[in-house]
Amino acid sequence: MTDLTDLVERCKAGDGLAFREVFRNHRADVARLVLRMTGRPGDLEDLVQEVFLQVYRSIKDFRGQSRFSTWLYRLTVNVVLMQRRAARSRPVLQGATDDAFGADQRDLPDDQLARTRRVAAFYRLLDRMSDKKRTAFVLHELEGLSPSEVAKVVGAPVLTVRTRLFYARRELLEMLRDEPALEFVARELREEQRPGESSEPLTEGEST
Amino acid sequence: MSVRLWNPRKGVERRPEERALDRLILELRDEPSPKLDWERMETQLLREPRPEPTSGAPSFWSRLRLPAAGLVAIAAVATIVMARKPVSLPEKPTAKLSHAPLNGDQLALGTRLTSGNQALVVDHPGRARWTLDPHATAVITNAGEFLTVKLESGALSATVVPNPKPETFAVEVEGTRVAVHGTAFRVERAGEHVQVEVSEGTVAVEPSGTHSAPAFLLRRNSRGMFALDGRTGSVEGNASAVVTDGDGRQSHRTLAKAAVASRPHSSAPAAQPAKPEVSAEPAAQAQPLPAQPSISDIEKGVSSAVEIMNRCFHDQTRTTGNRVSASTALTLSVAGDGSIQSATFAPPLAPGVEDCAVSGLRTLTFTHSTEGVTFTRVLELSR
Repeated sequence: MTDLTDLVERCKAGDGLAFREVFRNHRADVARLVLRMTGRPGDLEDLVQEVFLQVYRSIKDFRGQSRFSTWLYRLTVNVVLMQRRAARSRPVLQGATDDAFGADQRDLPDDQLARTRRVAAFYRLLDRMSDKKRTAFVLHELEGLSPSEVAKVVGAPVLTVRTRLFYARRELLEMLRDEPALEFVARELREEQRPGESSEPLTEGEST
Repeated sequence: MSVRLWNPRKGVERRPEERALDRLILELRDEPSPKLDWERMETQLLREPRPEPTSGAPSFWSRLRLPAAGLVAIAAVATIVMARKPVSLPEKPTAKLSHAPLNGDQLALGTRLTSGNQALVVDHPGRARWTLDPHATAVITNAGEFLTVKLESGALSATVVPNPKPETFAVEVEGTRVAVHGTAFRVERAGEHVQVEVSEGTVAVEPSGTHSAPAFLLRRNSRGMFALDGRTGSVEGNASAVVTDGDGRQSHRTLAKAAVASRPHSSAPAAQPAKPEVSAEPAAQAQPLPAQPSISDIEKGVSSAVEIMNRCFHDQTRTTGNRVSASTALTLSVAGDGSIQSATFAPPLAPGVEDCAVSGLRTLTFTHSTEGVTFTRVLELSR
């Protein structure tokens, strides 16, 4: 933590090496979050670069009141949402998501190919959700942040975040039926489940 | 970013659709982090000029921050929408645009530094301080006791603290090595040449990776233009060629352009007027003379000199069927009127070869210039 604090202070002082260190330490996390938020590998590089440009510009405003990771999550989410808003006013190339994920699919084994398609299909579903619900869903379900942490990132009450998570999940369940690449997963599970048999003997409560 | 993953499989009993969703979530979580060209991105990020993050007194521009916020947002969106790769930083008021000096001792071996619109200063406390000109790139190729910087493009200036150990700081440009003996100097990569200017102390210019090849020694207020292999070049001002023999001993041959050697490889060049005399030219040549002959003119002269040297070596060397070869650095001083003022050979050649060569070289003429030029070419002669 001390190292990170020192690094941030050096960044604030304009130390290029410290900025490079921050970039190297966090670039993979930022890239992963950006991809999960957008589902478009084609936009990834530009957005990650934009995030770190924003980091450099804004790091002087980071006062340590939240964790650096939370601050970085917030900044990344804002960059992605800004890009999405801008993208809405532009014509969209249909199938761009699939193309991006399927660029090198020819030599993939069948199961891996199927998985790649499922991932692409799932991103398509996420793309249909509202920004707020998708952000909450990605941060909580995929990035593993608690609802209170998500609340800090998006600047909303925890209860609001929980509500968004609930509706996000419900929307996704409905959308699953319309997505052929994903619906079969549920069908498989139905077939696996014998009549009168419980799906899973579970005891722990859901964290949300 | 710390990640604490909730396991969606652990929960209340779920319908198949919910379990399918959980399975997909797990699948997505397991996806590996995307791989990007991090090195290129890092280079682009560090190359671009960035405004100083620390804010000082409110400036005119900062007072305009709020009204300009909308414009900045539009510009940022436009940057994302239009600029694509590489994303460039928007222009900012220049008052705060300056790179803080980097501590060179903390830079790892292989670090590539690229300046943006501003110069980049690297400080090695107590040893050297060098400044990368705007839009220049350099790589640290030796970060130990002996600092070496490879200049890939642009120019750098350096001030090196005098040290009893020789050559504690060097700049390499392609095959040219500019080694420093406690000095202030500037190196610039200019296309296929390396330009070196020395304002204090002494600098040795030589081919990289070898200390046995002849070098140029440039002293205070001298400058030189050298080929990228560091073997040839022309110097101006107080400079000399250094030849290291097999035992490491060095001999210096003065190259001062104003000097005139009565004979080649004279150890005590005769003094001459510092400025070559420029005679009044006919009205047809009203155009001002160049300071030095052009590079192409010098190269033509070099070609002729090489031809003369080869011929003399061939004619004046006796063999008994074996192959004989010799290597020497020929330094020619050309006066402003285009005539050859001196020719030196380091190391010396056989007297017969030298006499023949001097006779031939004296017939060479170059275009007129105000200052003349001195240049050296390493020759490999064989018969």
